[in-house]
Amino acid sequence: MTRNISSLVMDSLCDEPGEEDIVVAGFYCDFRGQQEQTTADIIGAILKQLVARPEVLEHVKTAFQKAKMELGGRGLRLPDMVRMLKRAIATLPQVFICIDALDECLPKHLLDLLESLKDILQGAPRTRIFVTGRPHIGAEIKRYFAAGVIVHISPTRHEIKRYLEKRLEMDTMRDAMSDGLRTDILRIIPARISEMYVGASTVPTQCIILY
Amino acid sequence: MNLSQVIADQNPEIMLWLSPLDPRRRHQDVRTNRLDGVGNWFLETGEFQVWRGGEGGADKAVLFCYGNPGVGKTFLR
Repeated sequence: MTRNISSLVMDSLCDEPGEEDIVVAGFYCDFRGQQEQTTADIIGAILKQLVARPEVLEHVKTAFQKAKMELGGRGLRLPDMVRMLKRAIATLPQVFICIDALDECLPKHLLDLLESLKDILQGAPRTRIFVTGRPHIGAEIKRYFAAGVIVHISPTRHEIKRYLEKRLEMDTMRDAMSDGLRTDILRIIPARISEMYVGASTVPTQCIILY
Repeated sequence: MNLSQVIADQNPEIMLWLSPLDPRRRHQDVRTNRLDGVGNWFLETGEFQVWRGGEGGADKAVLFCYGNPGVGKTFLR
């Protein structure tokens, strides 16, 4: 759900008419790539999305040439990367940063990332940051961004049903499916998920993993 | 092909130096698999509108959305 919402938010910001001055940079954290997703690489990945602007490209190019001469092209450390991103943001009218599934970062990377985002915001108050994740990281978010707004998102029963219909259409083992089973899936699963939200987090959720 | 991609293609060494990660490709994958209309309600919420509109200055710069495990990550991926 959060991936869906994150991608929707990014697209809606990019598509906004008359907002050519907006630059949107996004990142999806993924537990499968935890080791590779260091904070410096995530900040670098965000910066990568700003280089289409000539003013940003120029200073990144200059920094790259300098690093090549001085350090033999070695990768940047996190403070250097944050400094470069801050400089890039300062040359642009407004930047939106969207980061999905923060909880899928390693804990040490998460704290570095929140610290870096806080640092970036301090120098660029027009910047907007959209983040998603599981409930338990809400406390960390509040610790770094006391005035941040927190919203609970959950799919509607209709959305769950549509998703299931799509999955069933894409089923590669159709022989194993009968009309009765299909009807049961579309009736029981959306109801179970809705109950989960009513019953809050105490309901075990692993039972509804479909694949 | 958009401008960012053109610039990235022209500067592969710099792009790799900034980060080996490729968020644009990941975004393309996610949006390709997105179900039309799912989650649209979120864009209409007051919280999102205020955040996007930039009201409240730096104090209101951060919007955090959380979803429960089981549905968010394993189900409606």
